[in-house]
Amino acid sequence: MNDNRNRTPSISPAAVVVAAIFLLVSVIGINWFTSFVPVVLPPQASAESKSVDELFYVLVIIGGIVFFLIQGMLLISVIFFRAKSGDQSDGPNFHGNALLEIVWTIIPAGVVVFLAVLSFNVWMQNTEPKATVNLIDGDEVKINVSGARYAWTHTYQTGRIDPNGAQIVINSGDKLHTYIGQNIELELRTQDVIHSYWVPAMRVKQDLLPGNPATGGRPTDIRFTPVRVEGETYPASYPIVCAELCGDGHGRMTGEVIVYADESQFLQQFYEPAIYAIMNPPADPVLRGEILIQEYICNSCHILDSLGWTSRTGPSLNGIADRAGERVPGQSAEEYIVQSVWNSQAFVVPGYTEQMAAFGPDQPDANAMSAEQLYAITAFLCTQGEQTDCDIENQTVAIPAAINTAFGLDVDITFGQGDGAESDSSEAPDED
Amino acid sequence: MATIAVPVGAQAEQNEQEAVRRPALSEYLRWSVDHKIIGVQYGISSFLFFLVGGAMAMGIRWELLTPALDLMVSGSAYNSLFTMHGTVMIFLFIIPMWAAFGNFVVPLQLGAKDMAFPWLNAFAFWLIPPAAIVILMGYFVTPAEAGWTSYPPLSTLFSGDGQTLWALGAHLLGISSIMGSINFIVTILNMRPESMTLWRMPLLCWAVLATSIIAVMATPFLAGALTLLLLDRVAGTTFFDAAGGGDVLLWQNIFWFYSHPAVYIMVLPGMGVLSEVLSIHSRKPVFGYRMVGLSSMGIAFVGFTVWAHHMFTSLQPELRIPFMITTMIIAVPTGIKMFSWLGTIWGGKIRFTSAMLFALGFLSMFVIGGITGVMLAALPFDIHVHDTYFVVSHFHFVLFGGSVFAIYAALYHWFPKVTGRMMNEQLGRIHFVFTYFGFLFTFFPMHIVGMLGMPRRVAVYDPSFTQWNQLIGLSAFVLGFSTFIVIYNVIRSYYRGPIAGANPWRALTLEWATTSPPPVTNFIDDPIPYEDPYGYGTEAATAYLDAVDESFRNGRPASGGH
Repeated sequence: MNDNRNRTPSISPAAVVVAAIFLLVSVIGINWFTSFVPVVLPPQASAESKSVDELFYVLVIIGGIVFFLIQGMLLISVIFFRAKSGDQSDGPNFHGNALLEIVWTIIPAGVVVFLAVLSFNVWMQNTEPKATVNLIDGDEVKINVSGARYAWTHTYQTGRIDPNGAQIVINSGDKLHTYIGQNIELELRTQDVIHSYWVPAMRVKQDLLPGNPATGGRPTDIRFTPVRVEGETYPASYPIVCAELCGDGHGRMTGEVIVYADESQFLQQFYEPAIYAIMNPPADPVLRGEILIQEYICNSCHILDSLGWTSRTGPSLNGIADRAGERVPGQSAEEYIVQSVWNSQAFVVPGYTEQMAAFGPDQPDANAMSAEQLYAITAFLCTQGEQTDCDIENQTVAIPAAINTAFGLDVDITFGQGDGAESDSSEAPDED
Repeated sequence: MATIAVPVGAQAEQNEQEAVRRPALSEYLRWSVDHKIIGVQYGISSFLFFLVGGAMAMGIRWELLTPALDLMVSGSAYNSLFTMHGTVMIFLFIIPMWAAFGNFVVPLQLGAKDMAFPWLNAFAFWLIPPAAIVILMGYFVTPAEAGWTSYPPLSTLFSGDGQTLWALGAHLLGISSIMGSINFIVTILNMRPESMTLWRMPLLCWAVLATSIIAVMATPFLAGALTLLLLDRVAGTTFFDAAGGGDVLLWQNIFWFYSHPAVYIMVLPGMGVLSEVLSIHSRKPVFGYRMVGLSSMGIAFVGFTVWAHHMFTSLQPELRIPFMITTMIIAVPTGIKMFSWLGTIWGGKIRFTSAMLFALGFLSMFVIGGITGVMLAALPFDIHVHDTYFVVSHFHFVLFGGSVFAIYAALYHWFPKVTGRMMNEQLGRIHFVFTYFGFLFTFFPMHIVGMLGMPRRVAVYDPSFTQWNQLIGLSAFVLGFSTFIVIYNVIRSYYRGPIAGANPWRALTLEWATTSPPPVTNFIDDPIPYEDPYGYGTEAATAYLDAVDESFRNGRPASGGH
């Protein structure tokens, strides 16, 4: 057997040719792949997305070089260094090459240093504080996002005052309304588990972390600036997704970012109409309830055909008015609906789990619901049935003392002309 | 001929029948302190869990064929399914599967008669069945549905009793892992033959040593985290409950301080296998042996400093940059290994055995996992793809394209030593083709759906991703099917395979310098290792291998060669 210790493995001319062809193919391949990039990433709808994608191109090009280098060497080895049939001898006794090893330690180290510096720069650029945020009509408006299983709720703490002297808060439900060039800064709070607020088109993502409610929770921030996307018609819509597992309905915990072309379109189509609606609610409580029930994102868990809701986490609301009176003995349909909203755990429909949040005046943030709102939602739900025995006319719903205190009321919710002022308002429903 | 070290001493008195006797199958069902029996016990049980976890993966892909919820009754049912898939694959398949190969091969490679602590070894294995029962039982009582990462408060305030059982089972597996690792460290550092210095040790032993050091150092942190989780769940403490002064990030930090190094627990032994298989089947020494061995230690060390990159979207922003840098650094020792392996096969005389095919498959797939790993380390890009299918793809390229391919390579490579029979190479090649392409088309498109906006762990998704998911699903079924080929091959070869002989691959490491399967005491006399475990291509090495063949002609030890 020939002792070929210390002999460098020879590289045949054919291998050089294959290597050259492969190099050419990889250059073309990388070019082809980068042209493919817009297909594998969502539209670049924010200023941040542009710099993140530029970083991605660099990563893909460097990754592509490494990929083609290694697969190419592998391919050459597989083709040229296979044992000839019947050849039982060993390969050369070649143990390594210190220079080569130093080279392939230093070069990758240099490359990762370069990538780290580049990433650091992009990060600093994207997280740089902005001069103004959430600028609407000359004011900086605080925008809060609440994550609850399984819905996003956006609230705008406007600078306007309603006729009663209270600050107007726009609840835009699972939709964030913004316009091109507005520096958005959201304050995120969760009401239960960890969620993650992800807008793929903006390339931003931030977890919502549970904090102590007594000290105002543990707010986290997310910032981005929408930019114009070529060929897009405005207002444009981009999905919001929950990226951290939060339970049964995690996949359905979605929302939308609505981007308007400019501030005037934003004011015209969203902001002013929203304020007008709050200042001038419909006289009919059923109509008010229909608006409100969509603001409270009940669709994230319930089915309701009349509004096109399809989620199956909670019981169906189709025909609720017909069933509500039969759920809990001794409770009228209206009483049951009220209880199911403000004290949702008091009665859990068989086959479902205790997942629903409570909505009432004693609840924080997005779960706060005034007596008037509760009344309107109940009025709306009472219309969801065939031969409804849930008639808001001439009905009185007993409200427990605790809730009455919180409402600042000493009366029950009275529907229609019925006078419920003298009814027993202190009786709390069964907490089974 | 020069003086040749003879692998085995005088063995004239050796009882021939005893030497080639294969343990009866019933011996594998009993308590045994023989590391070879324990190795097979680990191997068979881990493989069964691989099938369980794989069946769950098929269920996951079936559900995802359509964007709506159809196979599962609820999102929770889906959540508990992938929770069990991850838990079973990580804790009950990959980690114990490496204990299988480590147990069988490492003492043989060291020329030792058994592990340092045989009883402890058996005890570590027998913790696995009860742990598995506890974890799998949890699936049938309100199952754990917080993912294998079990982030509180989902896993504390919003989960059923299955979560408690999950934590108890993981606890037992952690104890098993710590005991097994201590055993490996002591065995490797103390039981080598006199002439085998650390720098002459086979690279699988280097990898197992590095892995065991990680496991011994990291697993206690998992135990700590699990204890806090259990206390929160059953004793009313509030370590992770913000309302009681706790912190949800505490769990994430401790959990990932274990679970990131655990990635290397799952991959490093595979890298050791690769060094063995690539060198032996291309008949060429490992390129840069010392750097390959040292890079295992480098990965083990740096692996402890990167955990918080799993928390880039929850971590305080000012802490994110340092972890980005450490994460990028870990690409360097991994790169050294990749290039050294290429240097190993470059210029060799490659035999395309099934073991070699899977080792080459590892090279070509793991590199993708490495590249996406650096991409994920780049913080601004990670923010976009964090917790998406991009990540799912990345870690399957590392853990399937890496670990599982290496497990298959190890199976085809050492099966002859374990059973005394060769596996069917033709079936092995078919298995490789189905696995390779099934794997590639299952996991590569996940990068794209992830970047386009599909988060992980969802049962319902945006209908625009449907076609991608159908491609992924169908490929996954091909991948699932490929497993049956190897099962058939193993069973058939066990009974019908050609007799292997002591050293079918003509390898220089010591496990091949004894009969297949080895006798109870492994070697009759203390074996003398060849001076260089990968010194192929010299006259001395050829003479050594000829002497081994001569000693064990017809699968039996003959009288000692000279």
